[in-house]
Amino acid sequence: MLKLFKIISDAGEATHKYPFAPYPVSPGFRGKPQLEANQCIACAACVIACPANALTMSTDTEANERNWELNLGRCIFCGRCEEVCPTKAIALTPEFELAVGNKADLLQKATFRLAHCVDCGTPFAPAKEVEYVMDLLVQSGIQVDDAQRAHLATCPECKRKQTVFRDDQSQHMSTEIEK
Amino acid sequence: MNGPAHGSNLIVPRDANGMPVPLTESEEIAKLKGALLKDIQRSAYVYRVDCGGCNGCEIEIFAAITPVFDAERFGIKVVASPRHADILLFTGAVTRAMRMPALRAYQAAPDPKITVSYGACGCSGGIFHDLYCVWGGTDKVVPVDVYIPGCPPTPPATIYGFAMALGLLGQKLHASHHVEGEGERAVVAHPQVPLDIRVEIEREARRLAGYRSGKLIADEFMHVLTEESAAALSLDERVKRFLSGNDDPRKEEIITRLWDVSLQGATV
Amino acid sequence: MSVSGETRVGQGYVDALRERFPSTVLEEEWQTGDQVTVTVKLNALPEVVEWLYYNQGGWLSVLFGNDERQLNGNFAVYYVLSMEGIVKSWVVVRALVEPHAPEFPSVTPRVPAAVWGEREIRDMFGLTPVGLPDERRLVLPDDWPADLHPLRKDSMAYNQRPAPVGDTETYTFVNDATGSTRDVPLGPLHITSDEPGHFRLFVDGEDIVDADYRMFYVHRGMEKLAETRMGYDEVTFLSDRVCGICGFTHSVAYATSVENALGINVPPRAQAIRSVFLEVERLHSHLLNLGLASHFVGFDTGFMQFFRVREKAMTMAELLTGARKTYGMNLIGGVRRDIMKDERTRTLKMVGELRSEVKSLVDMLLETPHLRQRTQGVGLLDKKIARDFSPVGPLIRASGFKRDIRKDHAYAGYADLSFGVHTEEGCDVLSRVLIRVREFFDSLDMIEYLLGNLPAGPILVEGFAYTPHKFALGFAEAPRGEDIHWSMTGDNQKLYRWRCRAPTYANWPPLRYMLRGNTISDAPLIVASIDPCYSCTDRVTLVDVRKNKSTTVPYKEIERYGRERKDSPLK
Repeated sequence: MLKLFKIISDAGEATHKYPFAPYPVSPGFRGKPQLEANQCIACAACVIACPANALTMSTDTEANERNWELNLGRCIFCGRCEEVCPTKAIALTPEFELAVGNKADLLQKATFRLAHCVDCGTPFAPAKEVEYVMDLLVQSGIQVDDAQRAHLATCPECKRKQTVFRDDQSQHMSTEIEK
Repeated sequence: MNGPAHGSNLIVPRDANGMPVPLTESEEIAKLKGALLKDIQRSAYVYRVDCGGCNGCEIEIFAAITPVFDAERFGIKVVASPRHADILLFTGAVTRAMRMPALRAYQAAPDPKITVSYGACGCSGGIFHDLYCVWGGTDKVVPVDVYIPGCPPTPPATIYGFAMALGLLGQKLHASHHVEGEGERAVVAHPQVPLDIRVEIEREARRLAGYRSGKLIADEFMHVLTEESAAALSLDERVKRFLSGNDDPRKEEIITRLWDVSLQGATV
Repeated sequence: MSVSGETRVGQGYVDALRERFPSTVLEEEWQTGDQVTVTVKLNALPEVVEWLYYNQGGWLSVLFGNDERQLNGNFAVYYVLSMEGIVKSWVVVRALVEPHAPEFPSVTPRVPAAVWGEREIRDMFGLTPVGLPDERRLVLPDDWPADLHPLRKDSMAYNQRPAPVGDTETYTFVNDATGSTRDVPLGPLHITSDEPGHFRLFVDGEDIVDADYRMFYVHRGMEKLAETRMGYDEVTFLSDRVCGICGFTHSVAYATSVENALGINVPPRAQAIRSVFLEVERLHSHLLNLGLASHFVGFDTGFMQFFRVREKAMTMAELLTGARKTYGMNLIGGVRRDIMKDERTRTLKMVGELRSEVKSLVDMLLETPHLRQRTQGVGLLDKKIARDFSPVGPLIRASGFKRDIRKDHAYAGYADLSFGVHTEEGCDVLSRVLIRVREFFDSLDMIEYLLGNLPAGPILVEGFAYTPHKFALGFAEAPRGEDIHWSMTGDNQKLYRWRCRAPTYANWPPLRYMLRGNTISDAPLIVASIDPCYSCTDRVTLVDVRKNKSTTVPYKEIERYGRERKDSPLK
């Protein structure tokens, strides 16, 4: 019995003061994922990686919108979104005070614009994604001139047509050369 | 035997396709809840209903009432019967087998009562949200007043959720909607490092130290490579100086490896 | 884990099998250096499994079905035997079942351990185990339509929800009270007491004569999910949530099964880190069980103290993985987080604190006069019953069998660790408690050793070749016993089939034998001694077979009776 009292008194005040004092989570604690929307290029890597389908993406070409949504009610706080994001736009924070009274408060959304093909005008990718690709080319040492910019801002369909046309022009065999 | 095929033992209302419909609560009861909150702020009796979770939530609820977190400081007491409950705490995604027991517990608890949906499974079905044997969250069967996300929610998150349900703390999380602004552009990280080298460094760092430490170390390393203040030193000297200030042998191993990788890639 | 096809550990068993049962073996296929799958003629299935089980030192780890009609036109049944004689290896006995004759000879009459697996095959695939007396559903709920078998590839989408066929329980509970299986009629009960009586205890006065229980209230449909919505790399996160207490163990077992199937060499540092996380999980789980044991013998202060100290193990997990529970640390090919110096130092400090604090608590617990009186000779798992049912973990070790997957079939970093397998001869609740105590301190030692000797190199390997339709076993020793998984890759970066067997699945069937001959007040303690997933039992129904009367009481009431030993709920 005395041993028990000693154990209890040695333990001292075991109770955390939370919520009357902040609770110290460990560094690297996996709390609420936070999107830094400026950095997001709406590529949907996080959406594909999320095992719980908490992250969803939809495209509305009529409204010229790409809509990202995080449902914190479905989130399993695994951090795969953080792991796969190419621009480090989403990361898990130490935030754990997430209770809500209204389910709609669990939804975090972001809306992005679409880029339109310079040739046919159809929207084909998020605008920020196209711009980011151009910036990456610059980082890789390529001088991005106006022609290249236009090429990047072309939809895959038109790109194919342009490539075929160009190849057709350049590789055409003429009877003159054979002579 | 099992599996009766006729509807003679239907008790809960169904829709046109024979699918169960969630219960709703009447306006009078909703009004009574306001009064309930004032009454139970000092002492709230909680009855837990496990609707088919993995038990991760169960043990964190358990931990919340043990000495380290001591939810009983707020008068939160776990009771053994729904008949004594002020608050019903639902965990799990509501498996088919637990639908009726969950409803019975709900009906056994006297009105007005507060329902709390606990964990990702309770809030929305979580990772199981669309499986065949799961209805997809507490609010598919009963009305819910408070949602506590987490997988599982930690004991402090649980205490916060209860404190919020009791009106002792305000709600912090709200819906948000960002709309892309004019000229909004994602910034390329470490623009002075050639792209292929940066990608290789980041990938190798992740293979060596995982997504979290790997990112921190890769960023630190690339910062060392490109920092303006060390412009007088050669790259080699910069890395050596950085390593000399480090006391973690594993970090040294990683940085050395990243340095190798960046040298291999530097063909220009 | 050797993945080379050169070494064939266990070849002897296959050769002996061919000799004992000529012209029965149709195919022999090796998945790894010590895993072989032998396809036999269907009618020879029971004999072959029985022979390997009782005559060659085999234990039945798991059995399951697979819809292979797309691959070879048939269904298949797999019986996984862990061979634990002098040569330790895995022999999987496989038989093909033709779709137009959807039945197979039941192995249960010869090997009782097969009972649950065969009932599950019937539920999930609609294949009838001929000769199995128990015709009740195991896994599917009562409101599930007849003739709808979820794991058949063509039966339904994974997210299709059939309308419930009814709102009441229709499961029948059986007992052997008079030596023959007899349904005890319980009559139409009032709705609020017709709970999903997880336990039915059949009693004569205060003595338990038999017990039946119904599990699988938690059946969610995960195995079908793994074949459909999820890619094979995401299933590691799904397997984390099979069980909230030993989730990481499931994650390792799953990742290992795919890594074995595809021949992936996981880097040594990743294996060591997996072992660290596995042992951290063992710490919190054993402390939970010791806390509960204290609670059930009425030592409630001990319960609170064990839980206080357990928080250190939870903080350790949070520091190392980012979360107290559901670590989410595995990917196919390695782990997602490294252990840096700061984390190592802090963890080692907590290990030291845990060691001294738990030692004091355990000494006190064991000196409680109550404890020995309440646990010695209680809940006996007879050796023969144990051998018949293949239970796992501290439960089997407390009945004198030296079974521990970390030693028998080493995985992750365990081949390099030196530790002993603890056994006891008591076969009772006390023996199980003692084993868990010893394992707890061993885990602390292992964590210290591993953290001091982490290999260099990467923690993740990428760029491996993905081949469809490869399959293999993966396994890990959870705090409760072995987790065993089997995965077959599909042709679309998703699994073709995933079978996940938690240890409690193997431990429930012998429980009724452990309850017999004890009193009602001992029941909670006996159930807790197999360390089941924290009980979601609501109520227990006590059926007095002599008076033919039943009483339904809340489980908490039985617990209270177990602690206070007065005011029996039967009165």
